[in-house]
Amino acid sequence: MVELSTLSKYSFLNASKNYVKDNGLSVEELLDDPLYERARTTGIERLDNAFNNRDAGNRSLATESDCIMELLSYPIARMIAVCIEDVYFKRRYALGEAVHAYKNLINEPTSFLFDISKEFNLDVKYSGDTNKIRIYFVDYLRNAPTRYKEWKMINRGLKNGYIQISHRDLARIIQEALRTRINEELDSKSCNKAIYKTFSSDIKRIQNIVLIHRKNIEAAPIGKLDITKLPPCMKTILASIQAGENVPHMGRFALVSFLNSLKLNSNEILKLFSSAPDFEEERTRYQIEHIAGRTSSTSYTPPGCEKMRTYGICPVDKTDDLCKKKRHPLSYYKAKWSQEKNKK
Amino acid sequence: MENFITSKESLEFLKDAFRKYYENNKIELPDRFGRREFAFVFFGGKGMMRHIGFEKKIHLTNFLKEKSPCHTYYSSAYYQMPDAATMQEKNWMGAELIFDLDSDHIPEAEKLGYVEQLKIVKKEFYKLVDDFLLNDFGFDKKYIELYFSGGRGYHCHVKNPKILSLDSNERREIVDYITGRDLKDSLVFHEQVTGTKRYRGRSYPSGKTLKMPTPDEPGWQGRISKGIIEIVNEIKKSEDPIEKLKEYGVKQTDAKKLLEDLSEERVTRIKEGRLDQSKTIRKFFLNSALRKTAVSMSAGETDEPVTCDIKRLIRLPGSLHGKTGFKVEKIALDKLHDFDPLEDVVVLSDDLVKVELKQPFNIKMKGEEFNLGSGEQELPAYLAVFLIGRKMANII
Repeated sequence: MVELSTLSKYSFLNASKNYVKDNGLSVEELLDDPLYERARTTGIERLDNAFNNRDAGNRSLATESDCIMELLSYPIARMIAVCIEDVYFKRRYALGEAVHAYKNLINEPTSFLFDISKEFNLDVKYSGDTNKIRIYFVDYLRNAPTRYKEWKMINRGLKNGYIQISHRDLARIIQEALRTRINEELDSKSCNKAIYKTFSSDIKRIQNIVLIHRKNIEAAPIGKLDITKLPPCMKTILASIQAGENVPHMGRFALVSFLNSLKLNSNEILKLFSSAPDFEEERTRYQIEHIAGRTSSTSYTPPGCEKMRTYGICPVDKTDDLCKKKRHPLSYYKAKWSQEKNKK
Repeated sequence: MENFITSKESLEFLKDAFRKYYENNKIELPDRFGRREFAFVFFGGKGMMRHIGFEKKIHLTNFLKEKSPCHTYYSSAYYQMPDAATMQEKNWMGAELIFDLDSDHIPEAEKLGYVEQLKIVKKEFYKLVDDFLLNDFGFDKKYIELYFSGGRGYHCHVKNPKILSLDSNERREIVDYITGRDLKDSLVFHEQVTGTKRYRGRSYPSGKTLKMPTPDEPGWQGRISKGIIEIVNEIKKSEDPIEKLKEYGVKQTDAKKLLEDLSEERVTRIKEGRLDQSKTIRKFFLNSALRKTAVSMSAGETDEPVTCDIKRLIRLPGSLHGKTGFKVEKIALDKLHDFDPLEDVVVLSDDLVKVELKQPFNIKMKGEEFNLGSGEQELPAYLAVFLIGRKMANII
């Protein structure tokens, strides 16, 4: 039997779900019974924290009642997240829950992480004697953030299909697996009317915040850049970044080097990235300045169409007639400008 | 091959030769047959006919007999509805992992003859299968299938059920791994402190050396070390080390300097895993060892998209390649070494036909030497097809 405090810390576990089920709690009770008022407030807190701080947040789990409220707040938060009906918000909430779990997981013993990885069907091998953790490369590829160079498979020891990873790595991989799972689960559900009714004021409040957040992103003037004139490839990459999807390293590189060639400065480029749910200002700034040649000896030129195709980041289904005539994203963008001039 | 037009008669001849082949030979069809998309290019036809699905095997074999296509492809992917007109409607279910090693993609291959080109591809192929697929990735042999493409290369299909659902980005990671892209050199070489000084109760490093991993370490760390030791041995044993270094792309002046740096003592140190700080040495070894041990699917410009593309069309095993007349053939892994396409996949008849040859040409096919001058020639059908397919001859 898993301890109650563990269940409430990791409310996404099957055992936690079963606990709620076994205690025969109905949605109605959760929504109406004054007994669960605190679980409802905590549910909202999870959402706010996830959206604002990238972390659903820790609360005291000193008493049994603390634990139960924490445990119940998770399904409540999820049901409300669905009712916000905004993809960006859902992604950000999922990230906040996953990051929250990660921060707790790194302090647990490896054997605990090993048990959780089974629940996510990750093929992980762990021997308590040697303390070595190995993961099957397919599960690694699915979940590891390989857009970062140090996570690329080539920079890891791969043997007989298994990659040796650290405790912290495993926690990070579980974080990604959890994020994917929450994303999928939230996307597959539709808003429960009773939930909407109970939390309508909070739902509207959050929807407003999301709206303002979006407007800020869209209204932010970005130097000399005219987004409507971007070639389809750059539009696609930018849209994915802003929608919070994972963009491979090469995609990020292509966009940053492209924008840098258009003489956007680091701050302006940074702004475009700032809406990504996993945005970290310091890290992104460093990477941008590296590509732009401000902290390194070379300023990288953006890849041409052929290279983009090789890397699979030319969206073949979205290319247009101008693409056919051009061999470089930059010349596409310039051609768009001169087209407009000619019209005037 | 500029301005050479294959005559109508020649196209008819090719089609007829292909038809005879498909009438007389049974073709082994791919697994999950009904879930695959098929596509064809016809002799003299423009463009590709695709989005074709066959419910029964007999339908496909009849199709081949009737239409005798120039090129026949099927999808590496499985679809719920393989014959739907758009990819969306097809509903993707999974795809094999494909590696396409073609001499087109190997640097400077065009300078070599057909036989030499294939030899180079074979070498890359061994690296791919032995070093990477079997060793690093640990795939079972039974999941690895190897095909001669009918042209100038080989295809490898990995059918391990666990990899079928990998998406395009995940496949790209595999390609990056195999081709050695984005290797972080600090992971391979790391600094090690060799001595410390104490100052005011604290210790500071006073000397550093560059350590490299032992050759038996997993993944690229061990691979680079193995590569470096091999290269050092090669250079040291060579009768003309400067020339050897030049083969590795080192300039004459740099080669001299490098050789001076590679004293006996240094070589011993390298073998013990201690590389010196000398930047030239480090860079040279890392780059050369990488190139030596990575699979060259390309020189930048690639058929890597083949591996990353999860909706790719590839040649149907057992079908004929329209530009050579060779059969796309499955090869057992242990038979690859002795495989010779000019012997083993020449399947068309040896009935004699008359062709007009554009330029002199020498080739050995089916054990027979052909030293041909330009002009009218009477040749076996299989050779005539090969020459017409490569736009070097027309039927008369």
